[in-house]
Amino acid sequence: MTDATFPVSSAPAAKSSLLVVDARTRKRNAAEARFRAYGLGAILISVALLVILMFTIFRDGTGAFRQTYLEIPVTLDAAQLDKVGNRDPEDLKKVLTTSYGKILENSLQQAITSNGINVEGLSGPDVANLISKEASAQLRNRVLANPDLVGQTVDARVLTNGRVDGYYKGRVTMETAARDSNTSPAQLQLADALKEKGLIATEWNWSFLTMPDASDQRPEAAGVGIAILGSLYMMLVVLVLAVPIGVAASIYLEEFAPKNRLTDIIEVNISNLAAVPSIVFGILGLAAFINVAGLPQSAPIVGGLVLTLMTLPTIIIATRAALKAVPPSIRDAALGVGASKMQSVFHHVLPLAMPGILTGTIIGLAQALGETAPLLLIGMVAFVRNFPGAPPEGLMDPASALPVQVYNWTQRADPAFFERASGAIIVLLVFLLCMNLFAIFLRRKFERRW
Amino acid sequence: MNDMSKVERTVSQTDIKISARKVQVYYGDKHAIKDVDVDILDKTVTAFIGPSGCGKSTFLRCLNRMNDTIDISRVEGKIMLDGEDIYDKRVDPVQLRAKVGMVFQKPNPFPKSIYDNVAYGPRIHGLARNRAELDEIVEKSLRGAALWNEVKDRLAEPGTGLSGGQQQRLCIARAVATQPEVLLMDEPCSALDPIATSQVEELIDQLRTEFSVVIVTHSMQQAARVSQKTAFFHLGNLVEYDDTDTIFTRPQDPRTESYISGRIG
Repeated sequence: MTDATFPVSSAPAAKSSLLVVDARTRKRNAAEARFRAYGLGAILISVALLVILMFTIFRDGTGAFRQTYLEIPVTLDAAQLDKVGNRDPEDLKKVLTTSYGKILENSLQQAITSNGINVEGLSGPDVANLISKEASAQLRNRVLANPDLVGQTVDARVLTNGRVDGYYKGRVTMETAARDSNTSPAQLQLADALKEKGLIATEWNWSFLTMPDASDQRPEAAGVGIAILGSLYMMLVVLVLAVPIGVAASIYLEEFAPKNRLTDIIEVNISNLAAVPSIVFGILGLAAFINVAGLPQSAPIVGGLVLTLMTLPTIIIATRAALKAVPPSIRDAALGVGASKMQSVFHHVLPLAMPGILTGTIIGLAQALGETAPLLLIGMVAFVRNFPGAPPEGLMDPASALPVQVYNWTQRADPAFFERASGAIIVLLVFLLCMNLFAIFLRRKFERRW
Repeated sequence: MNDMSKVERTVSQTDIKISARKVQVYYGDKHAIKDVDVDILDKTVTAFIGPSGCGKSTFLRCLNRMNDTIDISRVEGKIMLDGEDIYDKRVDPVQLRAKVGMVFQKPNPFPKSIYDNVAYGPRIHGLARNRAELDEIVEKSLRGAALWNEVKDRLAEPGTGLSGGQQQRLCIARAVATQPEVLLMDEPCSALDPIATSQVEELIDQLRTEFSVVIVTHSMQQAARVSQKTAFFHLGNLVEYDDTDTIFTRPQDPRTESYISGRIG
């Protein structure tokens, strides 16, 4: 600031008027205004980016929560499904999905003729292709669960194929269908005709939240059920392990440990651990928990353990900061009336540090919930169709996780999976939002600084 | 050491509660307290005066081993409470602090209700067998701290909601509730306004009937008003220790005289 001269040698500057803003003040005010503008700009940019992010995710992802169904009466022909005729579940299991596929196909044909829809230009397989490949399996499961249905005519709510579903969500148009080997404009016209008769409808899709992943050919059947469960199981493991270990370690380091070289080294290394890339924890988990300890691959227990390792430094740093923020006068006060060190910590310091500890812990958990890289290495990216059992045994069963499911779906060719991936991101964001709201709630509840 | 012989003559007249001999305190390499010998009498208010950084607070904190909480501090010499060395290996500082209570410079009530603030000490030391006894201790302590009439209708309200002077009296009540034998006060009025200060001073005068009170103060007027004995610390040394009247009217040491006349400090 070479121009910021002081009236040293010149005449005394006492004659300035307060009504005239001098150059120096003007300059300072301008600098302040500039700085405010920078700050405002930064906020606007980040808000705009956030809005764009949210907009694209919701634009692409809301479709996953709606699904197009075909509702037709299905005659479950006993001659085809129960050749023995005794409704024995063991015998029913011998009938494969192909037979159910045929039944669905016939039922669709009947529905088309009975409604007087013209299917000129469409071969039989093209008509049948309107129904999802998953539908026959779902019908079979329904019959196996209730063998008495055989021989009856039931109203079935059948998944349509992904292209037809995409057509009603705007992903597929007549132009793209013309170039598509999986569908044709004629098929979409048939779908339109069925929709006109009220046989096809796009409805709210609960099964996205409850069903497992599906294979590449059946995007319409894919759901995040197992991923949600797997993520919940892992959070359970992290909560049970990371919170007590992290909080106990912080209390010891902050309140009891002597300040010497060893504790300094530990402190520095905890901070270092917080900065270690998460994929490194994945390699560690693969080596330690799967190769050495022999835990199963793809299991939430291993994922939970890896995420625990990853979350511990975050929790420890947050907890220590919260403990440090408690004024020392409170410790003095407790010691001064003859409380032991432990009493002073547990009766006075910990309650005051609680909001900070809880917030730090929940932020650590939220971070763990969204973590993908380490889970890829321990095999949680596997294709899992069977729901894991109830904990604690279920922790050993293969499962998926929400962020990995997102990653998994974005790898697949069918654009319908992109919609599913965006839907899964929305689910993940809703979970994170809930956790953050819970953190705010706990903060409010415990933060009674009186 | 002319003045020391005089100290010994006066103390022989009353009970000695705490006697310190050749006390040294080190903070790391810093020699904070040098060779302090002092006898603190029972049922007497003893004031520690001296300029900032002279070690009076440090020495006070030695008397209930609050310095133990500072990792780098080291205490040498002997401090006897009723003839027992409080730095003996067998002494548990927690037990000691129940006997030697402390009131701090800044009012530091717990972020709990007024009742719980006072009841905390008796609770952890098991001084009350039931709620009625605890109520009694709380009332007695608050009365003792001249706070009862002001707070008796709002015992469930937070202690931190009181005014500064009330908070400090609450802290005194809290210290009194554990039924200590000695009460240490580290500049208890430095954060208070003159009215609150005079209330606390009145209180100190009443407390003298039950305990031995040791008070560190920056204000020489306060030392003159509340104490019977005064010790003047300078640069880690105990320069002079005598009856308060003597210290303020006929100091023996030139340093004491300069301090009380305002030339150093």
